[in-house]
Amino acid sequence: MSSIYLLIPLSVILIGVAVWAFFWAVDTGQFEDLDAQARSILEDEDASRSGD
Amino acid sequence: MKTAASGKPHRTAVSLEGHWASESDGQGHVVFNAEGIRCANCARSIRNGLGALPGVTGTEVNVVNGRVSVSWNSHLTSLGAILAIVADLGFKPVPLVGAAAAAARREERRASLKRIGLAGLGSVQIMMYAAGLYTGAFHGIDPALAGFLKWTCLLIATPVLLYSGAPILRGGLHDIRRRTLGMDVTVSLALVLAFVASVFNTARGQGEVYFDSVTMFIFFLLVGRHVEMKGRHQAASVTDALARALPATATRLRAATDDAERVPLEQLRPGDRLRVATGEIIPVDGTVLAGIALVDESLVTGESAARQRAPGEALLGGSINTGSAITLQVTSAPNASALHSLVRLLERAQGERPRIGLAAERMASWFVLRILVLTALVAIAWAFVDPSRAFPAVLAVLVATCPCALSLATPVAIAAATSRLARLGVLVTRSDAVEGLAQVDTVILDKTGTLTTGHPRVLETQTREGLSSGMALSIAAALEESSRHPVAQAFRAHGAREIRCGDAREFPGDGIEGHVDGRLWRLGKPAFALQDGRAHPFTEDAGILLADASGGAAAFVVSDELRPDAGETVAGLRALGLELRLASGDREGPVAHVARRLGIARPAARLRPEDKLTLLRELQAGGHRVLMIGDGMNDGPVLAAAQVSMAMGHGSSIAHAAADLLLLRDSLASLPESVAVARRTLVIIRQNLRWSVAYNLAAVPLAALGLMPPWIAAIGMSLSSLLVVMNARRVLSADVLGRKPPQGPRRTPDPHHTLATEAPQ
Repeated sequence: MSSIYLLIPLSVILIGVAVWAFFWAVDTGQFEDLDAQARSILEDEDASRSGD
Repeated sequence: MKTAASGKPHRTAVSLEGHWASESDGQGHVVFNAEGIRCANCARSIRNGLGALPGVTGTEVNVVNGRVSVSWNSHLTSLGAILAIVADLGFKPVPLVGAAAAAARREERRASLKRIGLAGLGSVQIMMYAAGLYTGAFHGIDPALAGFLKWTCLLIATPVLLYSGAPILRGGLHDIRRRTLGMDVTVSLALVLAFVASVFNTARGQGEVYFDSVTMFIFFLLVGRHVEMKGRHQAASVTDALARALPATATRLRAATDDAERVPLEQLRPGDRLRVATGEIIPVDGTVLAGIALVDESLVTGESAARQRAPGEALLGGSINTGSAITLQVTSAPNASALHSLVRLLERAQGERPRIGLAAERMASWFVLRILVLTALVAIAWAFVDPSRAFPAVLAVLVATCPCALSLATPVAIAAATSRLARLGVLVTRSDAVEGLAQVDTVILDKTGTLTTGHPRVLETQTREGLSSGMALSIAAALEESSRHPVAQAFRAHGAREIRCGDAREFPGDGIEGHVDGRLWRLGKPAFALQDGRAHPFTEDAGILLADASGGAAAFVVSDELRPDAGETVAGLRALGLELRLASGDREGPVAHVARRLGIARPAARLRPEDKLTLLRELQAGGHRVLMIGDGMNDGPVLAAAQVSMAMGHGSSIAHAAADLLLLRDSLASLPESVAVARRTLVIIRQNLRWSVAYNLAAVPLAALGLMPPWIAAIGMSLSSLLVVMNARRVLSADVLGRKPPQGPRRTPDPHHTLATEAPQ
């Protein structure tokens, strides 16, 4: 039962890591355009356009 | 990423002054985005704050796209002072056009996503600990472990409240400081009360904790706001798409050496020579100096076919050079080009507030006051009945009565309709136009340039003795040289270089007068040309008459062709139950001819602008709601007086200024669908308002009686807001015309039920 006193702080740390990862993803623009990647496989030419 | 990295240095108001405001004759006008506008009360606090500043002559705030439009007297105040006040009120003013606006929007989107992410992860985690606590409440739990779980919840809930909930709390604080009652007040009150009570109970080791409700509430609220923000950004992108159509730099040729240099667009001056390569965008208005341009003007004029432009011919900024590389000479300052005036017109319109939105706004403020009174009453009543249940009940009432859905109901639907109409090629330049268009029952159509192509030709010329028809045509061409009336084009081809008129004056609806070779000529309707009432020697239906002091000199028969889509459009409008009228300044012959071909009864011909106005007023006096569609200068007054007006995109600037809607494509085909979209929008707005009021009325008694725990109230409120937003999005995709036009939406709006009548202004 006392293991819970270890596991709960661990879960708090884990959530901290998850939040940090999500913030990083948002800041690096992972959620900016959710359609372009899906569409890009349909394009013939090499998609070397510069994103903004 | 390149564009964003340098987004910061442009944040100061002063350095931007030249870019986003226009000033003339002591009158300044600016449109900008104010970050942080979320509700009707934010709009009001900006309006009140700026209204108190001496010199500000008008302020308009649009809650949907976060846009503020201010006019001021530049002798009394400055843009800097205005922006400082907006910033002091807690909103961040950012320029509308170009990279900074896009970067500002992206910042807002990212911050919103982060808040949602933290709130989502936090609330799921807290829910897990709370599950432990709930199970413990039934099966027994070690008090030390329960305390530990509560402290853990507190640890996670604190950043969620302070970071994710920051915009809500700030909004609430703001409203209180401004002594206004916005929805953020009730929400913040609920959040803070619940959190403080939970912290207190955690510290003393007994009593309920509400960390799960607090975090979940924040999460739902943020998701709802995120959807709303995306709609707002979408509405903004129509304008920015136009502005973004221009490149940031241009290739200028140095005056002496012909060396090419890249310069920012702002530094271009009339007279500069620019090089535009194949596939590049022509950055400003200009004329071709060398090379043959093949330009795609589809963005600027809606004309889809590429046009050839030889040296000396005009180029429009924003069009794309699809031909070979050319050199051009700049003819207008970069912020005075045709594209820019279009953009400014549009922004001005978007900054205005929809009238029915105002009704909901007023309703929200009234609502909040009542809610606070009700909450106090609930608290007192429960204090007598069962003090332990007073707190959850008060919390539930505060949450359940949040008038979010109510204040979202109208703006989101109007925003969706505006963007759908833009896709149809119809630009909404006044935001109450959508509502007006939905309630129209009569359409007055102009003939020349509207139902017809507006490319008339001179079919026949009669002259008096001693005047050749070529000479008569040249004089007419000289008089019509600077006129934008469609008839002028018919004469333009007959112009002769040596015959000129320097002082042509146009009388809308009548004709033109001016001196050619020292003699005063009049060209126009016979009654105008022969002002002293003299007879003319030509056949009765002479049409356009050229006269000098000695009487009629020449008569021209000018006519133009019906648009190919006119018949279909008229049939479509009829299928929507609209009554059609034809009002033209043209002669009976051509007007009757067009009316016959389109099956329009009682056409009115030979109408001067005043006559058109009279016809309109008569219809309005008969209780009709009129849509006027026209293009010419002579339609200006009647366009301005109609309930709703639409101008053809190629029409005169007077018609544009007077109209609520602009047809960007040179075609009428999208007209019936536009009316149907507007009607659907009004239906959806009413559904939204009815739903949100019904939800609040139903939820309040349940919450007050303690039958609804705070977290259910939180879900209900967030879902009702989301429902309103989703419902409004139906405007974007709804099949408004139906498959078979006769079964289309035929419902005529009930005049007793319109929301406009609830908003006297």
